[in-house]
Amino acid sequence: MSAPLFSVEGLAKRFGERVLFDGARLELEAGSGYVLTGANGAGKTTLLRIVAGIEPAERGQLAFHAQASAVSDYPEAWRREIIYVHQQAYLFHTTIEKNLDYGLARHGVPRTEREARVREALAWAGLVDRREVPPHKLSGGETQRAALARAKVLDPTLLLLDEPTANLDGEARRQVLELVTALCIENHTVVVASHDPEIIRLAILNRLSVSGRGITVAD
Amino acid sequence: MELLDPTREAFRLLVTGDPTLWGIIFTSLYCSLFALLLIGPPSVALGFLIAKVAFRGRRALVVLVQSLLSFPTVVIGLVIYMLLSRQGPLGFLKLLFTPEAIIIGYMVIAFPVLVVFTLSAVQGADPRVYETARSLGASRLRAALTTLFEVRFGVMAAVFNGFGRVVSEVGCAIMVGGNIEGLTRNIPTAIALETSKGEFAQGIALGFVLITVAIGINVALAWFQGRGGLE
Repeated sequence: MSAPLFSVEGLAKRFGERVLFDGARLELEAGSGYVLTGANGAGKTTLLRIVAGIEPAERGQLAFHAQASAVSDYPEAWRREIIYVHQQAYLFHTTIEKNLDYGLARHGVPRTEREARVREALAWAGLVDRREVPPHKLSGGETQRAALARAKVLDPTLLLLDEPTANLDGEARRQVLELVTALCIENHTVVVASHDPEIIRLAILNRLSVSGRGITVAD
Repeated sequence: MELLDPTREAFRLLVTGDPTLWGIIFTSLYCSLFALLLIGPPSVALGFLIAKVAFRGRRALVVLVQSLLSFPTVVIGLVIYMLLSRQGPLGFLKLLFTPEAIIIGYMVIAFPVLVVFTLSAVQGADPRVYETARSLGASRLRAALTTLFEVRFGVMAAVFNGFGRVVSEVGCAIMVGGNIEGLTRNIPTAIALETSKGEFAQGIALGFVLITVAIGINVALAWFQGRGGLE
């Protein structure tokens, strides 16, 4: 059996007196999609943030591409392959086009290739005509789609989406759902923390549940 | 007091490009801008670090820097004078009564303004900015610069306030610069001197320049803010 793409072992995390994880473990297989469920405050967001290296934890062992690391010593190189999208995505105060270009520039992609990839991602998210618009002029759905496009354009190995359809309804929610589904189908390894019944029901996603200080594989 | 004639004379001096008057203006702007250029980057960096990095004694450091804001500039001048005077530990540099001495004084005066305003701007920044930048592959330095760019109006306010503080400062500039004509005489020290001599024309002209600079700073800040989110 091959090693998982990403694994967490013996994770411990607390907020003050409240213990969120105590010896939790998680394994993510390459190319698989996961939906992370659990009650509010169970630790779904915290888990994603720990996996992304933006939330510290007391102890735990992480492994990515079979390379192990203590949770307190998150390797910088992993950030180039693991992308976390906030529940309410933050777009920088510039154009949407430049938002999409930001990560590519940080990854050292040549300008001509960046331009092509940004165009492609804008088309994927249905935001071509909004490319020069600043974020404060976007709707909630457009903001979320722009954030998904900004993550997708980097072709991440592991994509972590925190409640991508929260605060959206109607057409905006449907469009974001379509993009999330497309990301899972495109062979990305995706973990979606969600309460959305439609996301939880997606057959392509394996269900994980965060509860009782641990992470379990749900039926 | 007759105000009309000195005011008319003041405008004549300005418009005809009176070399003494414009030399004073140049000294003022040179010392202020050069001081900001030197102390700006480290102060903004320190303000960012204090805002973002938790460390032992952070609160005490914030209180200390905030206290520096209310330090009388003449006391700052006195300390720098003692350091730079011939018998002082830095006397060998022979900087006393030079524009460089004024620049040092201005750096000390602008430092707490820049740090406190930057600290406040970064503390008010959305924490998702830094996290998003890091998650998109930015290094710590790049993520910090991105955060500063997102709160650029706050950082600009820091710089403009620092400039406003030093360009109108008198006490320190007189003490360490000596108010030497053609060398260290700047706008505020010249106004103080000319007024004490009863020579109002140059004082009025320089006062007009100082007010113009102050209004210009605020107009520039408002213009930047009015440009909204686009670069």
